[in-house]
Amino acid sequence: MFNVIDRVKPGLKKLIAALRETYPYASVLAVADDGRSWNISRGGVSIAASRMGGGTGYVVRVFDGVGCAEYSFNEFSEEKIPELQSILARRLAEQNKALEGFDPLPTPIPADEPAVLKKETAYKIHPRELGDEAIVERITALRKKALAYDERILDAQAGVSYRAYRKLFLSENRDLDQTVLWTTAVVAAMASRGQEIKMGYHPFSVLGGAEVLEDVDNGVEKVCADALALLDSQPITPGEYECVCNPETTGMIVHEAFGHGVEMDMFVKDRALAKSCIGEYVASPLVTMHDGNAVDETATMFFDDEGTLTGDTVIIDRGVLKTGMCDALSAARLGVKPTGNGRRESYERKAYTRMTNTYFQGGDATVEEMIASVKDGFLLEAPQSGMEDPKNWGIQCMVNTAKEIKDGKLTGKIFSPIVLTGYVPDLLKSVTMMSKEPVLSGSGMCGKGYKEWVKVSDGGPYMKARIRLG
Amino acid sequence: MITRIQNALEKCGISLWRINETAEETAELFFVRKKLDTRRVKDVHKYQVGVFRDVEAEGETKRGCTFTNLIASMDDAQIEEELKSAYYAAQFAANPYYELPDPVKAPLVEKTGALAEATLAESAGKMARALFAPDTHEDAFVNSAEIFAHRCLCRILSSEGADVSYTDAYVKGEFVVQCKQPEDVEIHNTYFYDELNEQALSDKVAEALTFVRDRARAQRVLKSGKYDLVLSGNAVGEILSYYRWRSYAQTIYAKYSTWQKGEDVQGTDAAGERLELTLLAREPYSEEGIPMEDLALLKNGKLQAYHGHNRFCRYLGVKPTGGYEKLSCANGTVSFEELKKGPCLWAVTFSDFQMDAMSGHFGGEIRLAYLIDGDTVTPVTGGSVNGSILEAQKNLTFSTERYTSGRYDGPYAVRLKDVSIAGEGA
Repeated sequence: MFNVIDRVKPGLKKLIAALRETYPYASVLAVADDGRSWNISRGGVSIAASRMGGGTGYVVRVFDGVGCAEYSFNEFSEEKIPELQSILARRLAEQNKALEGFDPLPTPIPADEPAVLKKETAYKIHPRELGDEAIVERITALRKKALAYDERILDAQAGVSYRAYRKLFLSENRDLDQTVLWTTAVVAAMASRGQEIKMGYHPFSVLGGAEVLEDVDNGVEKVCADALALLDSQPITPGEYECVCNPETTGMIVHEAFGHGVEMDMFVKDRALAKSCIGEYVASPLVTMHDGNAVDETATMFFDDEGTLTGDTVIIDRGVLKTGMCDALSAARLGVKPTGNGRRESYERKAYTRMTNTYFQGGDATVEEMIASVKDGFLLEAPQSGMEDPKNWGIQCMVNTAKEIKDGKLTGKIFSPIVLTGYVPDLLKSVTMMSKEPVLSGSGMCGKGYKEWVKVSDGGPYMKARIRLG
Repeated sequence: MITRIQNALEKCGISLWRINETAEETAELFFVRKKLDTRRVKDVHKYQVGVFRDVEAEGETKRGCTFTNLIASMDDAQIEEELKSAYYAAQFAANPYYELPDPVKAPLVEKTGALAEATLAESAGKMARALFAPDTHEDAFVNSAEIFAHRCLCRILSSEGADVSYTDAYVKGEFVVQCKQPEDVEIHNTYFYDELNEQALSDKVAEALTFVRDRARAQRVLKSGKYDLVLSGNAVGEILSYYRWRSYAQTIYAKYSTWQKGEDVQGTDAAGERLELTLLAREPYSEEGIPMEDLALLKNGKLQAYHGHNRFCRYLGVKPTGGYEKLSCANGTVSFEELKKGPCLWAVTFSDFQMDAMSGHFGGEIRLAYLIDGDTVTPVTGGSVNGSILEAQKNLTFSTERYTSGRYDGPYAVRLKDVSIAGEGA
């Protein structure tokens, strides 16, 4: 599947050498991509090549007299090297001429320390090996089970997607090669109340293959029950409440509310409040936050899209902000070490500082203890979406379900939809309990602003905090 | 490459297919303040192939389809392997039978105008100068900006004889404005233009700089309660996207929407303006090769048409229209000044304003709003909107001033009655 990388590698090395005759730095990222998704709903069965990852192609990075420049393309052979050199030179000259009067942002050329690596992630069953027929049978059975749950279920959806990629990063001193496979699945059920449709859903993800389907059956009854329960949901009375967040909701807060604020390309732009808070308490001492490859989830990788090796970055250590995450160019500008967070939506896009697997460490409470400790509040579940605000650390997160807790017990009353707002450090400093085991979910994609979608995972334990709900 | 794909299709015994060829070229600029961060250029050439397969199942003929992506650097054996794999999979994606789109054969439709004809570098450079033109003050400024000048050639061919092509060009991007005093704040903005519309971009930046100054002095005094809510700009288009989703052929077929043609979908109890909506065609052909034209969606609040891709339109027995991304609204009865009279909350920017068309709920966290009460206008920040279009559509008033963006063309503002706001004030 990915032997194109082996075939083009000698030519790409020659391309780097040729570009180095003109530019003081040159690197290339080659991406070979494979993916497929299977979905079923009342609309029918669909099978398609996944568009996640953007396909197979190349991106060259050079530094010229102005600064950093990149060229993305998807047709390469050794014979094309002179043509590629000529196109890059011509288009940069055109661009530089059109930008006369604009000064460059000073950017030291990032270090190109020697490194050689070839690694791949493990899997039990490749989805292609399991086959289209078996996967469609499986998702069909999941849908039937959901539809049989209750006659009020309007429709049920089930789906599986995988992306496998091989990435090769070459520069004068680096030769990095990785192959990664992740797979996700989802089951969802819908129920209607007049024109209003309520949905319960459960995502599944794994750094691996079709083994993700092992647990999916267990989610069907829950999503149906959630959808039906939402039919009786009410709007919430706005206010600040004691809340217990389930791991998915904790993950949304970790990622959207806090994580985007410590992406250090925002430090370069003076867009992140976190820049002035390094070394300070930004959260309760119960909070320790990680990003990186210490866990096996969908954003695990061995090197990033700029050829920086990845690791485990401790962002918050017992409430104290230690560092952010950083791509190579931002690190060069800030004079710090990159953390392996330079990621691209595809070879066609720019690399930005992006999260990978981001989560809060576990604590020592049980979920039962946490619920029992709430006098008047909610259990928050089913996160829907969130939006970053690195400048002001404002929270905007939406969840589908707030289950009422009175005097330490769930009352059975459900409120929906719910908007979480407030100031991130206020929320994190109000954390008083964490359950033991963090749980991560890698079913979603993360955007930077409204674009640049990359695969991430996030999560944490159950977390108790005071949160403004509306 | 097209010939290689066609030969491979024939060799694999695939008689029903569609090829979408896309050649894209961009010039991309990234700025921090007015300094050039990164320059990027792109040349990519892609081929997406859909293969269709008829199968007999449960006593009837069904039609399955799958898609795969090919690139020119694949050798013939790899192309055949991909096509065979897709064709094999297609039998398991068998759905009720439907006819493929009626084939259209036509000459290339070329986009004209400055954006289509200048070099991408020139277009990107001109938009950069337009973007920074209003950035002349120290107190509020452009923090960072991105510019994407984009041009492409799209060709659609099918086994049924379709062969159409067109060129497209647009410029899009985003910019962040910042004001440091009295509070250090920013506002994120996006833009999209079909033409080299330098003045529109300059105007948008100038307006954003005014808004960010106001956000810097905005107070967290908004109290929870019901407000008459004024939305403006892209938020109006977002609210109206509910009607596009509810009338989409796939939504109707799946019974997620029960809307019928001719039905008063706004509700007979709607006392405000009756909606006049049209779906706008941005490209001459859909990705399935269906000729696209503007489509009247709602007249006087009543549904005029379903719209959507070929398969679901065929199932519903309506003419396939292709997929639409842009909505036009012809409403507007009062000036914006008039619209804001009387106590109301004009929510100018959100962190992310969203309409959930499935539930009808809309909402978002307020970055800047003006609390208007007579002559008193107070900039406020914080809090969130949580409303339902099912209620709000009963009393809509639109401004006569117009607004255009990539996905919306219509009144600049709309006033909604009694929307729930969660405030942060005491």
